[in-house]
Amino acid sequence: MTYKVIGKRVKRVEDPQLLTGGALFVGDVNLPNMLYAAFFRSDYAHARIKSIDTSQAKEIPGVVGVYTAEDMGDAWEPGPPLVSPPPTLEDVVFNSRRQVPLVKDKVKHAGEIIAVVVAESRYIAEDAVEEIYVDYEPLPAVTDLEKCLEPGHTLVHDDLDTNLAAHLVQNKGDYESAKKEADLILKRKFNLDRGAAVAMENRGLVVDWDQKNQHLMVWDTTQSPIPIRNGMAARLGLRTHQVRVVAPFVGGGFGPKIMMFYAEEMVLPWLTMKLNRPVKWIEDRKENFYATTQERQQIHEMEMALSKEGRILGIKQKIIHDTGAFDPYGLTTPLNTQSHSMGPYDVKNYNSELFVVFTNKTIVTPVRGAGRPQGIYVVERMLDIACKELELDSREVRRLNFIPPDAFPYNHEIIDQAFTALIFDSGNYQPAYDKALEKLDYEKFIQEEQPRLRAEGKHVGIGVVPFIETTGVGPYEGARVAIEPSGKISAATGVGTQGQSHMTSFSQIIAEELCVEVEDVSMVTGDTAEIHWGTGTFASRGAVVAGNAVLAAASDVRQKVLKLASKILETPEDELELDGGLVRVADIPDKSISLGELAVLANPFRGAVEPGTEPGLESTKYFGPAYGATAFGVHGMILEVDPETMMIKIHKYVTVEDCGTMLNPMVVEGQIHGGVSMGIGNAYYEKLHFDENAQLLNASLADYLIPTSAEMPHIEVYHENTPAPNNKLGTKGVGEAGAIPVPAAFAQALENALPEYDLEITETPLSPNRLFELLHKREE
Amino acid sequence: MKVEGEHLFNGTQQQVWDLFRDTAVMAAALPGTKKMELVGENTYEAVMNVRVGPVAGEFSGQLVISNEEHPNSYIMTVDGRGKPGFLKGVGDVILTNQGANQTLMGYTGEVQIGGKLAAVGQRMIDTVAKSIINQAFETLDGVLAEWVSAAEEGRGATYEKASESDYAAAVARDMLSVPWVKWAIGVGIGLVIGLVILFTLT
Repeated sequence: MTYKVIGKRVKRVEDPQLLTGGALFVGDVNLPNMLYAAFFRSDYAHARIKSIDTSQAKEIPGVVGVYTAEDMGDAWEPGPPLVSPPPTLEDVVFNSRRQVPLVKDKVKHAGEIIAVVVAESRYIAEDAVEEIYVDYEPLPAVTDLEKCLEPGHTLVHDDLDTNLAAHLVQNKGDYESAKKEADLILKRKFNLDRGAAVAMENRGLVVDWDQKNQHLMVWDTTQSPIPIRNGMAARLGLRTHQVRVVAPFVGGGFGPKIMMFYAEEMVLPWLTMKLNRPVKWIEDRKENFYATTQERQQIHEMEMALSKEGRILGIKQKIIHDTGAFDPYGLTTPLNTQSHSMGPYDVKNYNSELFVVFTNKTIVTPVRGAGRPQGIYVVERMLDIACKELELDSREVRRLNFIPPDAFPYNHEIIDQAFTALIFDSGNYQPAYDKALEKLDYEKFIQEEQPRLRAEGKHVGIGVVPFIETTGVGPYEGARVAIEPSGKISAATGVGTQGQSHMTSFSQIIAEELCVEVEDVSMVTGDTAEIHWGTGTFASRGAVVAGNAVLAAASDVRQKVLKLASKILETPEDELELDGGLVRVADIPDKSISLGELAVLANPFRGAVEPGTEPGLESTKYFGPAYGATAFGVHGMILEVDPETMMIKIHKYVTVEDCGTMLNPMVVEGQIHGGVSMGIGNAYYEKLHFDENAQLLNASLADYLIPTSAEMPHIEVYHENTPAPNNKLGTKGVGEAGAIPVPAAFAQALENALPEYDLEITETPLSPNRLFELLHKREE
Repeated sequence: MKVEGEHLFNGTQQQVWDLFRDTAVMAAALPGTKKMELVGENTYEAVMNVRVGPVAGEFSGQLVISNEEHPNSYIMTVDGRGKPGFLKGVGDVILTNQGANQTLMGYTGEVQIGGKLAAVGQRMIDTVAKSIINQAFETLDGVLAEWVSAAEEGRGATYEKASESDYAAAVARDMLSVPWVKWAIGVGIGLVIGLVILFTLT
């Protein structure tokens, strides 16, 4: 019997626990003697603090303490610099400015923490926050990405003489020469704005210092428990074994729950050690809009040189990226934009200049897509516009420019966010693109359906956008797999889980390798007590990097099983087979031993473990790819827009995904559904409105609109499989894919639906309001 | 946020000027005002309760009158903050004699708001601001009428302070003219009816 479970639609093993309310979230952690924290956050985006008066707050019964930066003394230090610029790039300007636990002198964005109240209940803590008085000297806010670089402009950081956080140029080939051959040189400017990640569960922390054990226990909604453990230990002067960080079930990460070292992650551990009592804080929705990182604001000026047949001869662009008030996450997001601004196309000449600027807004770190949607948006928009100018069929132009299947591995000769060369490992783009066209019935829609609907007065349009996603980058992840004396398998990996079905997918890998049932594997994610090394959940890399580490550890355990069984059954290893928790001699089914018995024998009470061997049937292995695995996909949609109300209805939504080997197609489809809903929000509903004082004007879910079930179309998901050549499983990431091409597809479909307006969309997010304005501008 | 508008008062320009420069009258006219006192030349300190939808709380701040051109115009600067956020505004106030004991008061200004007030109260702030201003004018009209008749009858003037409940009623009235509120109330009523039907059936 074979245990082929990789690629099967195995039902999620975590669901019974989640669906019956039995799963632990940070909010569920309640400890005896626990205190509650609430934060005083600045209303001003940019202001100098003249004085802080906490005296009235301290007098409220039930308040244990009120603390400001001054109270932290030497424990006050900014968060760690997480990602520095790629060391191999030359002439990089990078000004590292990191967020602080409590503001000392100058507030740099609304929502920054000035004081923390600790009280016997959250209610008391919140009431006490209202009694804190801070005297500010308000300063003009830095919000304009272009003006903020002009000389004499207000500065976010007084110790810098500029608002420039970073500058670099990446170059491939020779754009200026290529331009000379061009039949069309297209120049456009694009405005891409900010959105929030809006995870269902906000951030939260419970910290508990046990003085007698000299041990700090932390429950944190982080995506990266191991770096958080390491960082907390370092900040507090503890050894790493003195800190255990658990990221239990987490209700959505989407990037912002990365190992930021948010102010709360710096303040709360300090407080529990100071007070010797557990402290809990759960972020509320309003705090989330100010304090949790956001993304996507960029201005692009792009120039594309094309031949009259529509071949891209070269691309040149200038990007201004808004990093918010600090830049702890380095250049990850804008480097992703640089990598994705050539799309899935064979672009020989590319010149991309990047400016990163500080503004008085919430910090920017990756949000699902992480700079990729912006890159895909601009390149696809440029191609759409070029097709109109050159009167070419958009499908033909894509076909002409796709990187051909025999060109892989394809080296783009620039540096990727992982600091490695941007190499696309594999791909076969045309079949996936054709499949999307076929599933949309593109030709029939254009020839028959659209004219018929237009005759009925309906504004229906089609948009099809291909995209690539660099996924599965290093540095590494690890996994530990062990056979228990019961014969059941225990396994752990360092990545945290925020809904990705890690327990199921990783258990499938182990079950297949050790020939056991999926239910016999117990998978722990996100607990530093279970594995010592790892980075975290980000960059669509769980299935690739942690998945292959799981496979490596399971394979090693399999070898140990066979070796020991061979000795005990006195049979050569190659004559043994694993089946349902047993090892048996292939030809003699009765001659067998269970995995549990082997586990007991591998851990003897007497005698001696042979030199050069290890006790137990356990293995810890790591996987670190030299460079990532590049996934591909196509999204296509048919949408109808009402030109009076600008409300839209999506009649059909088709995706074709090529993420290499799928561990579990159901999980892949779930990721796509979630990604598309986020993409629809990014395209047509979700925009953070900041005014000229960097005040956020829609910091509630009443005003910041996220798509609901009513806005969601039925999504058809189809698959292609080009296995990744550089990992054994052949997997590529897919966690962010769904969100990446949606704004570009929306823009194409809207233009196609409203031909009479000759609309040219160069911005995102749109909204019914904004589309109304754009149409009326065209009418004028 | 831009604020502008005008109001026609039934009084002489001098009377209207005095009206606006009378601390007690202004304190009475602005709904929710708990305190307003002159603390320096043309500088007032005020404490005011403000409610904008779900955002409510006490604001305290300074009001400064400058560039005074008696009895035609002045500039008013407001800088206030409180638990619900902050507001900062500069406005021009211009009085023009319209003859026959009528004076037109025109105002234009720019107000910046921040904090919860901006983040959560944004879509209601316009309506609430208008309510406050309209109600202030109602009170001022009353006071002015009392002044005018007291002057004619040669007696001292008295006036009543508008209560916070008057103000709440005024906001509620003005809110009804906002389309989404009508919609929300409609949905609310619909839900209640639906639930009643459901419970009667089961």
